[in-house]
Amino acid sequence: MRRLRLAIAATVLFGPILLGQAGPYERQKVDAAAAKRGSAVYTQYCINCHGAAARGTETAPDLIRSPLILRDRLGSELGPALKRLAGHNAALTPDQVTDLTHFLKQQLEATARNRNPAVPPNVLTGDAQMGRAYFEGAGGCAKCHSATGDLAGVGRRYEPMDLQQRFLFPRSMKPVRATVTAASGPAVTGEVVKIDDFDISLTDGSGQYHAWTRGANLRVEIDDPLRQHHEMLERYTDQDIHNVVRYLETLK
Amino acid sequence: MRLLLIVTTAICCFGQAFLDPAKLLQAPTDSWPTYNGDYSGRRFSPLKKINQSNVDALTLAWVRRTVVAGRQAGGGNNAAVIKGTPIVINGVMYYTIPDHAWAIDARTGREIWHYEWPSKGGWHIGNRGAAAWRDTLYFETPDCNLVALDMGNGKERWHTSICDLEQFYYASVAPIVIREHVITGVSGDDLDIPGYIESHNARTGNLEWRWYAHPEPGTPEAKTWPSVEAMMHGGGMTWVPSTYDPGLNLMYFGTGNPQPVIAGQGRAGSNLYTESIIALNPDSGKLAWYFQPSPHDTHDWDAVQTPVLFDGEVGGKPRKLLAQASRNGWFFVLDRATGEHILTSEFVKTNWTLGVDAKGQPRLNPAKQPKPDGALVSPNQGGAINWPPPSYSPDTGLFYANAARAWSVYYLYDEDDKPEGWGGNDRSGYSEAMVQAIDAKTGKIRWSHKWPGNGGGARSGLLSTAGGLLFAGDTNSNVVALDPANGNPLWHAGLHTPLTNGPITYELDGTQYVVVGAGDTLYAFAIR
Repeated sequence: MRRLRLAIAATVLFGPILLGQAGPYERQKVDAAAAKRGSAVYTQYCINCHGAAARGTETAPDLIRSPLILRDRLGSELGPALKRLAGHNAALTPDQVTDLTHFLKQQLEATARNRNPAVPPNVLTGDAQMGRAYFEGAGGCAKCHSATGDLAGVGRRYEPMDLQQRFLFPRSMKPVRATVTAASGPAVTGEVVKIDDFDISLTDGSGQYHAWTRGANLRVEIDDPLRQHHEMLERYTDQDIHNVVRYLETLK
Repeated sequence: MRLLLIVTTAICCFGQAFLDPAKLLQAPTDSWPTYNGDYSGRRFSPLKKINQSNVDALTLAWVRRTVVAGRQAGGGNNAAVIKGTPIVINGVMYYTIPDHAWAIDARTGREIWHYEWPSKGGWHIGNRGAAAWRDTLYFETPDCNLVALDMGNGKERWHTSICDLEQFYYASVAPIVIREHVITGVSGDDLDIPGYIESHNARTGNLEWRWYAHPEPGTPEAKTWPSVEAMMHGGGMTWVPSTYDPGLNLMYFGTGNPQPVIAGQGRAGSNLYTESIIALNPDSGKLAWYFQPSPHDTHDWDAVQTPVLFDGEVGGKPRKLLAQASRNGWFFVLDRATGEHILTSEFVKTNWTLGVDAKGQPRLNPAKQPKPDGALVSPNQGGAINWPPPSYSPDTGLFYANAARAWSVYYLYDEDDKPEGWGGNDRSGYSEAMVQAIDAKTGKIRWSHKWPGNGGGARSGLLSTAGGLLFAGDTNSNVVALDPANGNPLWHAGLHTPLTNGPITYELDGTQYVVVGAGDTLYAFAIR
């Protein structure tokens, strides 16, 4: 139990505490207009000590990580705390406190969702000339692709981050194909419908569906149009990637 | 007469649902009494009625579809997804999804009882299963409760809070019972909260101890964080059930990612005890030793994969060993008595390290940390392996992992000196899936069976048996039996959707069953 007591003492001092009962399911729903008003309250009364993003400073704690704010509903915890805590403005009206909670909950919800970017990051950090050189040379891209052919205007069609993703992990315009040769019967070539260790099925050029049970006497040759792209993942440097994306982005 | 009736009733019902604690110390045969079948985490069964010579005759014995109303995540349209490993005791199977537990006849799949927890919320991402002690069944609920049920009739005996929903914790882990301790883990990584593991009294639910996944302030390990504030908000969730060595009286589990998850610039250092394999005394919660597979992780590579226990020789001397195939793509073998590092190897090729340091820990390549303009990293966030349990066969000496060679780009979105939450993520990617058979003595890949097609990783656990079979789910919808010596497929059955849990096996009245969960359905196979 010593460890438990120590840990609880430490968390009371420095951060989250584990309380006995789970809270209600519904979190406080953020009212955007109230949050905007609350932002003004925060800027006027709180920002100097708790920081621009409410993440705390050397003089005041983080409010995003605050159990009190997490537990608060429309000022239920914050209102009494402002009156109780030294150096806080006890004169805020109940409406101001409520607005402040909407602002803080808005910041909190944004933090909990920030695995998605608020704005796309800038991925155009490479050198277009070097990207072009790689495209036409070491990267081998020009063997199959053309800046004036299939990739003409690609920089116009996609946002830079999507361009980077599509370059690295293209979605094939062409399906995976296979040629299946049974011991008795002609080879059949077509688009793979499904393949596993036990069966393969494909659709031939006329739309006819074919299926086989796989075995030692069935030859299966796979033609994956993206095979070279997959292999290139082993060879790209991050600088190659940034240069090529910068180059592709110029193909307007 | 009345007394006789009471005694008879007690024997009847007690006998039906009673778990003899000694079963937990034996290799499973007529039962599968805990998440991994036994405490070792090997998911190896000594049963061999189903074996290489007759597996062709393995066929469907029963099917049970789970239909529930209400919120469930991951299945779409509120559909149930069975991610937990069922347990089997005295011919009764107990299985769970978030907020629900069932007892069904392990011979037929027929429902005996159903319990539904009145949920207050929490993330319904999945439930890994139940634990049993004598005639009580335990499972965790998304809204942070440990619930104890009467195994005979499914009536609630008690429940107790194990985490705080307000702080964005939730609960999904299968409890493990060690003597009279019910060990519970916690989940959640939206906000910067500390992970921990608890012991509750099996009779009362009372909290016995709690161990946080961070050091105590002032200790040498605390210097692996830039500040106490960062450390106390540093994550390290305990997503996967523990294994246990009764002889050493040590339990073993892994801890999850540090917080903030991707943006690590505000938590310089290795960030103990996140991303660590932990050995604790289950009676006191006292730390015995730790080993950290992913120092200063910034890729969400929870090191929570089952620490598997087995014995072997190292340098000509018998050793009690522990192995983990970690989500970061590396395989570790340790001495489980002391934590001494034995070996480290890659079990799939990765691109994020600068080799291995003197402690046996991979050295993070700074160039492969998340960047504002992206860094191409392998494995991806899903990892070279994820939570689905691996298997170890003492017959082959091989450690089996349903693995993936996966790529994605990691982006840093929050460049603030003090980021919070995630502050970045990975995106898209390409992956190949395969079963890797790792020689536990050398760390080398003995064989690799690539699942055909370019799909995501196969999210099924594995089961090996003395019948010379390794059961797995592929990336399509097949349950497959491989030859554990070479990976050759020997048998399969096509299901309606890919496997979503770890296969189990048990023998009742001379019939050996193999049971898998796929989406909302349990499939049982047997030779009739």
